[in-house]
Amino acid sequence: MKQIVIYLFLVAFVVSCKKKTVEVKVYSESDRWGFESPSHFPSPDYQFANNEQTRLRFELGRFLFYDTLLSSDNTVSCATCHAQSHAFADHNVKFSKGVGGLLGHRNAPALSNLAWYPNFMWDGGINHLEIQPLAPLTNPLEMNETMSNIVAKLNSSSFYKEKFKSAYGIDEITDQKFFQAIAQFTSMLISSNTKYDQYLTGTTTFTEQEARGLQLFRDNCAHCHKEPLLTDFSYRNSGVESTIVDIGRELVTQDPNDKGKFKVPSLRNIEFTYPYMHDGRFFTLTQIVDFYSDGIQQSSTIDPSLGNGFHFSSQEKLDLIAFLKTLTDYYLIGNPDFSEPKR
Amino acid sequence: MKTIILKFIAVAVVLLSVITSCKKDKTEDPVTPSPTPTVVQKGTVTIDLSHKWGFSNETDFVLGTDLIHPMKKDTLNFTKLKYYISNVKLKKTDGTWYTQTESYHLVDLSNTSSLVISLNDVPVGDYTDVYFTMGVDSLRNVSGAQAGALATSNGMFWSWNSGYVMLKAEGTSVNSSTGSFAFHLGGFAGVNKIVTEKYVQFAGNNLTVTNNHTSTAFLQVNPGWLWHSAPSVSVLNTIHMPGTDAKIMADGFFTNNSFVLDHIVE
Repeated sequence: MKQIVIYLFLVAFVVSCKKKTVEVKVYSESDRWGFESPSHFPSPDYQFANNEQTRLRFELGRFLFYDTLLSSDNTVSCATCHAQSHAFADHNVKFSKGVGGLLGHRNAPALSNLAWYPNFMWDGGINHLEIQPLAPLTNPLEMNETMSNIVAKLNSSSFYKEKFKSAYGIDEITDQKFFQAIAQFTSMLISSNTKYDQYLTGTTTFTEQEARGLQLFRDNCAHCHKEPLLTDFSYRNSGVESTIVDIGRELVTQDPNDKGKFKVPSLRNIEFTYPYMHDGRFFTLTQIVDFYSDGIQQSSTIDPSLGNGFHFSSQEKLDLIAFLKTLTDYYLIGNPDFSEPKR
Repeated sequence: MKTIILKFIAVAVVLLSVITSCKKDKTEDPVTPSPTPTVVQKGTVTIDLSHKWGFSNETDFVLGTDLIHPMKKDTLNFTKLKYYISNVKLKKTDGTWYTQTESYHLVDLSNTSSLVISLNDVPVGDYTDVYFTMGVDSLRNVSGAQAGALATSNGMFWSWNSGYVMLKAEGTSVNSSTGSFAFHLGGFAGVNKIVTEKYVQFAGNNLTVTNNHTSTAFLQVNPGWLWHSAPSVSVLNTIHMPGTDAKIMADGFFTNNSFVLDHIVE
């Protein structure tokens, strides 16, 4: 009897404080979600300022990420070109298809650890996680929409009216809340549980070959692909061509010294995110390692740290590739929280 | 009987917990005598923008009409003119300031309600100047998704190179090689920053704010100043990113005597 009293007391305590306006879906204790910076990572750039994180907002952002409503002809969603099975890169194509099958001009990057990025896109033209989606949403070759039309479409959807009401307490959907909801989702695409991470945190060991690969990586590549995020967020000309076709960062800075420079991409999930480089010119890890070994093309803005290539032996190339495969994050690829939600 | 008593206790405990557990934690104010509240008397100030053209603001600036630039002699027919005014402040004769919070205004010539900037709860007194920023301060250019006048749905934010289009002037001109012109001016950092602090004096004719009353400063704005140093549309008809061209054109309008006081109504 005493137990019943205590039980009733606890139930009453919990039930009586529950908010009445919102039906919260109950997630179990083991459901990993809220933003946590992994212990071996630096502090993140995105701070959720004016966008406090809640599960409902995250779920709303997830619906938006997977919704083709956001494109002009309702055919393309964010996930069309950022597929979870490919670590949120496109489906192994050089250039992505937008509305009407139009092809973009640069390879769609894999999405992970976005909360740590100070700038976005290959040329770094976008300065904040929340407004990154503005570019693909409004680009005529991608989703070809206008923000005012997206806001209008969302406001005429009873589904989203209800979702925004419960997540943000607003009756009229604004583009600000729309962007913030997407950031709730994209900021959570954290890759921190690869074999490499487990090695760093001491929960697994590398094979001898992987360990040799890591050493080679640290000696030659980590200068730009800075650990543990595996990018230093800088812009560099990696020497893919002697005659620059795409001016890259120069488009943003108007500085000729930035001609042909692109953001150093993170190497996380590189096994699944081919093809590589801003123009998707390399399709295999072997091609990439061969390129940095002996294929560097000189031009006026070439990154000085590349020299004339690293001249790896065939064994070293195999070791490096073995290491690169430890950067695959099956947790990110297999996390049901990030998959297409069901209405 | 014992069971009934226990049940009774259980129900009582439950009810009690329901009541107490939701009680808000209140920190009671100590019973100290509060100072006699001094009621600050306040009024409203509106800044009314009327757009003019010509050397001495002699004609009205109207969208969709042919306007001849007094210096360049270009015939310009504007379809669109929008620009940002932010962080509006009023300077009082006693040296104190009224500062509007969250002060971002998109002046849009196709939307008459945007031509009046309303400043609420202005303490009564005599004001000598209105200060404001032409454009959008750099912080809001780098702080993610914004609301109201700064929302991206207003079409005044560059998608591919983050930052506000602080002034957008579009239209047609027979003097342009393409028959049209489109000037999207922005730049919030570095040498090509166009954001400019500006003020208009109520010279010798202070703007007086009285309790629960609206006082209006009527300003004349002349967009012709855009071509103070910028070349004719026959030479330059498009700007779509920050840079030297945008800086020269914006400076003409943002820094010169493009805003003048016409009269005050109190």
